[in-house]
Amino acid sequence: MNFTAVSVAMAPEHLLLAGIVALLVLEIASARSRAALPIAVIFVGAAAVAAALLGASGWTGSPFPGQFVLTPPAAFAKALVLALAVPVLLFSREDFGEGDFYPLLLASLYGVCLLASAQSFLTLFLGIELMSIPVYVLVLLGYRRPESAEAALKYLVLSGTASASFLMGASLLYGSTGSLGLASFGGALASTDLLARTAVVMVVSAFFLKAAIVPFHGWAPDAYEAASVPSTAYMAVLVKAGVLIAAARVFGTAPVAEPLAGLIAILPIASIVWGNLTAMRQPGLRRMIAYSSIAHAGYLFLAFLGDGPGRFQAVVFYLATYGVMNLLAFAALPAHDDDVERDRLENLKGLFHTHPFAALAIGMAMLSLAGIPPFPGFVGKFLIFRNVIAAGYTGWAVIGLVGSYLGIYFYLRLIQFMFMSPAAAKAGHAPSRGVAMGASLLCLAGSVAVAVAPGLLLSRL
Amino acid sequence: MADSTVLSVVLYLPVAGMLAIAALPAGRDGAVRALTLALMVAQFLLSLVLYAHFDPATPGLQAATRLPWIPAWGVSYLIGLDGYNILLVMLTTFLGPLVTAGAFTAVTKQVKLFYAMVLLIQFAMLGTFVAQDLFLFYLFWETMLIPMFLLIGIWGGERRIYATIKFFLYTAFGSILMLAAVIYLAWSLWHTTGTASFAFADLYRARLPLETQQWLLAAFALSFAIKVPMVPLHTWLPDAHVEAPTAGSVILAGVLLKMGTYGFMKLGFPLFPDATRLAVPAISILAVVSIVYGACLALVQTDIKKIIAYSSISHLGYVMLGLASVDLLGIQGAIVQMVSHGLVAAGLFLMVGMIYERCHTRELAAYGGLAKVLPVYSVFFLVLTLASVGLPTTSGFTGEFLVLLGAFNAAWRESAPIPVWVAGLAVSGVVLGALYMLWFAQRFLFGAERVPHGPVPDLDGRERAILVILLAAVFWLGLAPDAAMKRTELAAREYQELVARRAVPAATRLTVAAPTEATR
Repeated sequence: MNFTAVSVAMAPEHLLLAGIVALLVLEIASARSRAALPIAVIFVGAAAVAAALLGASGWTGSPFPGQFVLTPPAAFAKALVLALAVPVLLFSREDFGEGDFYPLLLASLYGVCLLASAQSFLTLFLGIELMSIPVYVLVLLGYRRPESAEAALKYLVLSGTASASFLMGASLLYGSTGSLGLASFGGALASTDLLARTAVVMVVSAFFLKAAIVPFHGWAPDAYEAASVPSTAYMAVLVKAGVLIAAARVFGTAPVAEPLAGLIAILPIASIVWGNLTAMRQPGLRRMIAYSSIAHAGYLFLAFLGDGPGRFQAVVFYLATYGVMNLLAFAALPAHDDDVERDRLENLKGLFHTHPFAALAIGMAMLSLAGIPPFPGFVGKFLIFRNVIAAGYTGWAVIGLVGSYLGIYFYLRLIQFMFMSPAAAKAGHAPSRGVAMGASLLCLAGSVAVAVAPGLLLSRL
Repeated sequence: MADSTVLSVVLYLPVAGMLAIAALPAGRDGAVRALTLALMVAQFLLSLVLYAHFDPATPGLQAATRLPWIPAWGVSYLIGLDGYNILLVMLTTFLGPLVTAGAFTAVTKQVKLFYAMVLLIQFAMLGTFVAQDLFLFYLFWETMLIPMFLLIGIWGGERRIYATIKFFLYTAFGSILMLAAVIYLAWSLWHTTGTASFAFADLYRARLPLETQQWLLAAFALSFAIKVPMVPLHTWLPDAHVEAPTAGSVILAGVLLKMGTYGFMKLGFPLFPDATRLAVPAISILAVVSIVYGACLALVQTDIKKIIAYSSISHLGYVMLGLASVDLLGIQGAIVQMVSHGLVAAGLFLMVGMIYERCHTRELAAYGGLAKVLPVYSVFFLVLTLASVGLPTTSGFTGEFLVLLGAFNAAWRESAPIPVWVAGLAVSGVVLGALYMLWFAQRFLFGAERVPHGPVPDLDGRERAILVILLAAVFWLGLAPDAAMKRTELAAREYQELVARRAVPAATRLTVAAPTEATR
């Protein structure tokens, strides 16, 4: 083990760890401190910069051979995920001015970073658990109504099931190949051995469960709705990013062959269709985003049909466009005394008249999530379907695109509510505040950058 | 300034205008209107420079800007003028100031957002016309939907929500299948020739088996035919037109509908020539059905806006017929007809808006004898009606006459791609067109005096100025179409060649070609 390699390659992780320690010390030193937010932002920002610099320098190496590897694309993926966490931190101030939110969030981010570098099933499992466990607490942290406890428990149990399935798959794989390295999964994909196939299916279902793919999606709407807005945003964007990056690591560049290709096409397409159709009937923004994110997980898993080398790029780029726009919507959502009333779609009627900036931001986010150009979501979708068509699955791509069409209506409906309806009688949203506005502007700047120069990001992944 | 710079300025002026409007403090409605009008006029004047500098004898792109954009996919930022788009660009920049000025008194709520959206749609429409890269084209093509969605949905009539969502979902459905076709086309180009590019000029070189061409043409055609709209995909148009505010209707009829026919001319037919030649009889029949059916529907409407909406379907049928004829006169006629309909329909919708502002109803039965009460209005209306009917000396005559000539030329060609009876039936559209428009004008302008909420004032200076400018263009295109047609002639010839060529892979290459979707 080389000390320099460990300190350089894991610099983003170390910075997050330092941030957690600093936050804990602060917690002990003073009960109510306003310094928690700046500290968390500084450390996460520094970690993002460190990851970006590592990626830009082209640093490649493996401080723990066979367990942890850093390549420039992985470093950029980490930088991206960490950068996406910054707006979450910023707009969390409305809900969590101080307290346990920040160390938990940083711990979970540590897990996401670990996933991007994992080289064996053990590291990957460590990353998944590190990422998930703080989130169970985050869901409960917004405890404002009884359903939160139920949702957190549901999430805990189902996520635990996923972990069990993942471990079972990993051990079966070990049994059939004698290795815990992620590379063995690629071999198992092509294998006709029953043991290896079972292992693949168990691992894939674990990812499907974690990413809320139909029919494993039942937990997501409840958990998203019950959590407070920043926790929902974290789950919808960063946890999803972590799971998908992990899946991309596991699949590597191995081609997906029949009959697995069928499984990988049908369930995500079912998610796209079901998520988009069900989202139409949701009364609140968080529940709607939950179903929308089920559909988006579908697009993301469709990317695995594409040729191996472009897979990681497509997944991470899509996560960037999807994440930044989702965060924009959450950041712009004006604060409210009542957490339930805050995101009720009825209360967002006429938002443009009272909060024009928020309405414009949420409107742009919705159009981007719907995949309408010129917003960045379109480029992400274009990339995924391009890869799927290039891999020869034209039929699946067309079905997936038609499925994405089904989603346009509910995004438009929200825009219709905000712009075309008279203002709700008793919406009661507080005026937009500086920090949340800053977070929205940050997301907006990011999305403009991605939309104007997608090539810059693409060439680095 | 180089022409390419002028074109970029023309294209991006509306974006600058949007940002400037956003920066203006709330409540300064007068400043917003003045600023938008000034920008639109400046844009038109600059585009005149482009028109004057356009060299009819040079094939290919002029005033082009090419920048690499997403090099890994072969996507480039490529814009430029050619014979296909020069007149449509002029039409767009010409209508811009008229739309802006026409809405001065009609739009009084959320003025900032309104003019921002007018500028945004102006940007998107110009972008769609000048884009010479399929990715860029698709981006602009879809962007157009957003401002139109808001224009109808916020400032529209009673059933605006229904109409605008119908409009969006209808057009988006076509686009989503086109997107699949776009990706597949670019991928096949890369797969068969090794060129990674979305530039139109490169895509024309793709060699596709006939079956693939047919699938892709179907996907493109669905999207374009919805936009035109061709019967039976037209049902969104009357709703959108009736519910849209005047400015929305003018933009919709003036420019937006031409996107569909432009798409067919620039992309749909030339990209898939073998499939197109097989489809010409079907397309020409659909075009004639649009002409006759649209005219018949216009005949029985009781809502003024609906009459003009259905007449649009009929008039654009001529454009499709001209394009399907693949005859030089027919193609030229189609282009002139696009511009002519853009001017005349825009004028008619503006005039309907003017009377609606005064009388607050669009029921034809509520009106009568306007000629005595509003003489100036009636004169302008009658002239526009005659232009719509296609009276010689107006632009409508030039377009329809050339299209019919082209259709008969095609029908008498040896291969007879268009059946003679189809071309003959198209002529009946002219008669029907005269019937519904003149009957409409007779009930509207003459007879017993009926003016709802009257007495109402006649046209004021602003409205007269708008209409005079518009009619000047109508007569210019009717009396001296030569200058304009000279600029489109090379493009028409190029279109003819592109549609006439064989683009299926040679038989020997089929055996070595990579697997296609048919074999997967």
